[in-house]
Amino acid sequence: MDFEVLWRYAPSLLSGFGVTVMCWGAGGALGVVLGFVIALIYRLRLPPLRWLLRVFIEVFRGTPFLVQLFLIYAGGPYIGLRLEATTAGILGLGLYSSAYFAEIFRGGFAAVPVGQIEAAMCVGMKPIDVLLRVTLPAALIAAVPPIVNMLIVLSKETVVLSIITVPELMYQMQTMAAETFTAFDAIFAMAVFYWLLVESVSRLGRRLESRVTAFMAEAARQA
Amino acid sequence: MSAPMIEIRGLGKSFGAHEGLRGVALVVGRSEVVCLIGPSGSGKSTLLRCINFLESYDAGEVRIAGKLIGYEDAPDGTRRRMGARNLREMRREIGMVFQHFNLWPHMSAMRNVAEPLRRVRGLDAAEAATRALAMLTRVGLADKAEAYPSRLSGGQQQRVAIARALAMQPRLMLFDEPTSALDPELVGEVLEVMKSLAAEGMTMLIVTHEMGFAAHVADRIAFIDDGRIVDEGPPRRVFHESAEPRVRQFLQTYHDRNSF
Repeated sequence: MDFEVLWRYAPSLLSGFGVTVMCWGAGGALGVVLGFVIALIYRLRLPPLRWLLRVFIEVFRGTPFLVQLFLIYAGGPYIGLRLEATTAGILGLGLYSSAYFAEIFRGGFAAVPVGQIEAAMCVGMKPIDVLLRVTLPAALIAAVPPIVNMLIVLSKETVVLSIITVPELMYQMQTMAAETFTAFDAIFAMAVFYWLLVESVSRLGRRLESRVTAFMAEAARQA
Repeated sequence: MSAPMIEIRGLGKSFGAHEGLRGVALVVGRSEVVCLIGPSGSGKSTLLRCINFLESYDAGEVRIAGKLIGYEDAPDGTRRRMGARNLREMRREIGMVFQHFNLWPHMSAMRNVAEPLRRVRGLDAAEAATRALAMLTRVGLADKAEAYPSRLSGGQQQRVAIARALAMQPRLMLFDEPTSALDPELVGEVLEVMKSLAAEGMTMLIVTHEMGFAAHVADRIAFIDDGRIVDEGPPRRVFHESAEPRVRQFLQTYHDRNSF
């Protein structure tokens, strides 16, 4: 283990870590928002729109992320979409994860016990109030654990961005390894960084989950 | 003379090939308490859910204080679905209490009661809170106002659900097996609240398996079997002198199971 090399490369490794966190955060946020919008539109039950969204979801869940990323970055210019590597990376992470998030939100909506919606209808609430006050909060609560899980998966998918030269952690590590012939040190340091990232994400996730668990238990009991 | 609170005639409802309700007729007068009893799957809950149109019906009519619910009859004799807005207005007058309470788990007891007041009755936050607290006091749960449903026992949850329905100041209350999901020792507290409601003159239609409660509180008992009302009358007559073999058999089974 050559700590001197790691120390020398610390600035570029830290900047790579920063880019990783930024891409993960931005891509994840894009995916959550896009996935939520898809799930909401899906609920409108408009056949052609539903069919299109279904195709979108199946394509982005059914093909490797690496392939999608290449198509966006290298194939983009053919349709006039010329993107910076980092922008393409964030867009790729967002599109890829949105397909999963859409399914997570769809499951969240399906998990709301029908009785809670009936109770709202019985007191004469308008559909918009039923959605905003009853269905949506309950659906979001049910969706929290799988969302956290997907965000963890996504944090590790960021390594793929190195392929299109996004200067994230994996890319910086490979540069260091190539320049100093320290493959093992690089891989070891990388494991530590990603573990730190995933651990902090899951800690945050657990805190969020424990705040909603009380409601969840109740929702499950009423189902 | 004013129309009865609930007036059901020739009510029919089928689920595919299965006929859930087959020509049900039932009248519930103002301030009357009627209990619906009968075996499971007989159509009791379906009948109750047709009264606030949670369940649509195929034939016959359900009138609330004289007004047809769920449909509008055109002058030319055709019938079409009632507009959503009109249906909401009618539902506001009909309180419903469910077997599984159906409280909103992300709201405190207080907000469960206050939310419909704000969204439907248009009260501001302070007014809604005041009335919600008064309703929770009414069902003996003022001290649980800030508790979430998951922190309440089944009996307490059901009392919150009753408070939620009462807060809307309905003209009648429907109860769909309100004590069936409760532990035996929690049944009493819910029945007490219902008894006091009956004593205050609330019109109530109750689907229940609590025969003792039905015998003491109901003005009338209606026995449903296979989608029809088989017998109907004062509790004493239905429970002890029914000529219907189906009723006698049901009550005998019930009696055997509950004697030890």
